[in-house]
Amino acid sequence: MKDQVGGNHKQARFQALCQSLRPDLLRFAFWLSRDRALAEDVVQETMLRAWKAQDSLLDEAAAKPWFMTIIRREYARSFERKRFVTVDVDELVAREEPMLAAAEEQNIAELRAALFKLQDEYREPLVLQVLMGFSTAEIARELNLSGAAVLTRLFRARKQLRVLCGEDTSLDPQE
Amino acid sequence: MMDCTRYRQTVMARPRDSDPALREHRESCRDCNFFTEQLLRFESHLERALGVALPTAQGETAASRSGRVLPLRAKSPLTWERSLASRKGWLAMAASVVLGFVVAAGLWLGIPGSSLAADVVTHMRGEPQAWRRTEVPVPDAALQDVLRDSHLRLAGGAGVVSYANSCRFRGYQVPHLVIQTEAGPVTVMVLVHESVSKSMHFDEEGYRGIIVPVPGHGSLAVLTRGGATDPKTVASIADRVLDAIVWTG
Repeated sequence: MKDQVGGNHKQARFQALCQSLRPDLLRFAFWLSRDRALAEDVVQETMLRAWKAQDSLLDEAAAKPWFMTIIRREYARSFERKRFVTVDVDELVAREEPMLAAAEEQNIAELRAALFKLQDEYREPLVLQVLMGFSTAEIARELNLSGAAVLTRLFRARKQLRVLCGEDTSLDPQE
Repeated sequence: MMDCTRYRQTVMARPRDSDPALREHRESCRDCNFFTEQLLRFESHLERALGVALPTAQGETAASRSGRVLPLRAKSPLTWERSLASRKGWLAMAASVVLGFVVAAGLWLGIPGSSLAADVVTHMRGEPQAWRRTEVPVPDAALQDVLRDSHLRLAGGAGVVSYANSCRFRGYQVPHLVIQTEAGPVTVMVLVHESVSKSMHFDEEGYRGIIVPVPGHGSLAVLTRGGATDPKTVASIADRVLDAIVWTG
């Protein structure tokens, strides 16, 4: 009886943890996939896997990176399952056109379209940094890169975005 | 001493880095200071562009309805639980459904209806990127831009303003600030179009806050995230922010 109560308590805690992290996970999955429906599917599968593997999460404080890793694996698996061949960025932008245009300010809409066009290798560390609040070291660990490589990608990501958005980049440094 | 190229390469990778060497260079170089202001303005837009509205238990958010943020397809947040249940059989599904009802009911009852507090909380949930703990202030020019339309400015004493945005809220543009305090980042919304008769504390969905009346200028909403800050501290932060506001119109 005591074990059952303990188990229920643990499951309730894990469920609460999943609920609290879900918004961040959905946003991350959306920018990873650039597809709302796919993002929701990936997060759903992630939750299922996390639920089954909850015993391997030893420290709740490390839950966010733990979930991020599962999401990235699930996203990769979705490619295996659906066998996507190519990604046509213009098609992706067109598919989300109504949503991109929904932004009240033109510059935000343009920036979202530019984010869609950014290569995965630049968009992913940028999203981890800006949206998820990851440090350079955490991004490096998650993406299996060196700290210097992460900084280079973040630099290039912002530089490309600024160019795509028609910002004045005359003061930007060269690499 | 860091040169301009190195400085700009570093801040383009980490715009909110509070490294003293970066600050020292910025303060001694007018061009790099200007460059940083431009970059931080761009960063603020980037944070907003990445913010996507999420469906709540009741469906879409107020923010997504207004079209201010990019909404994700509305879907129950408990979908994954139902899916899990279906795989474990009808008994588990029944348990999950019951649990779902309990959670949904809790969410429903927990959200203060269509009140001002509910809308403030919904708005905050749409901008999670604003809650960063940092010592880097937003550029003064950017802060003034945000405050100007509400006819106010901030005197010293409120704390470091690390985020400033002009947000659409209930049909009006309102200043949305994040101020770094001893209790962590605190969000402030100046609601000149929303009058309240008395102070209202709320503690909903992981946000604890207060909405206080500002005679002649609507109201002020102050929120902390998580339950660590007690209501008395929240109220004292609100008082401090109010003391720092100078109305210009």
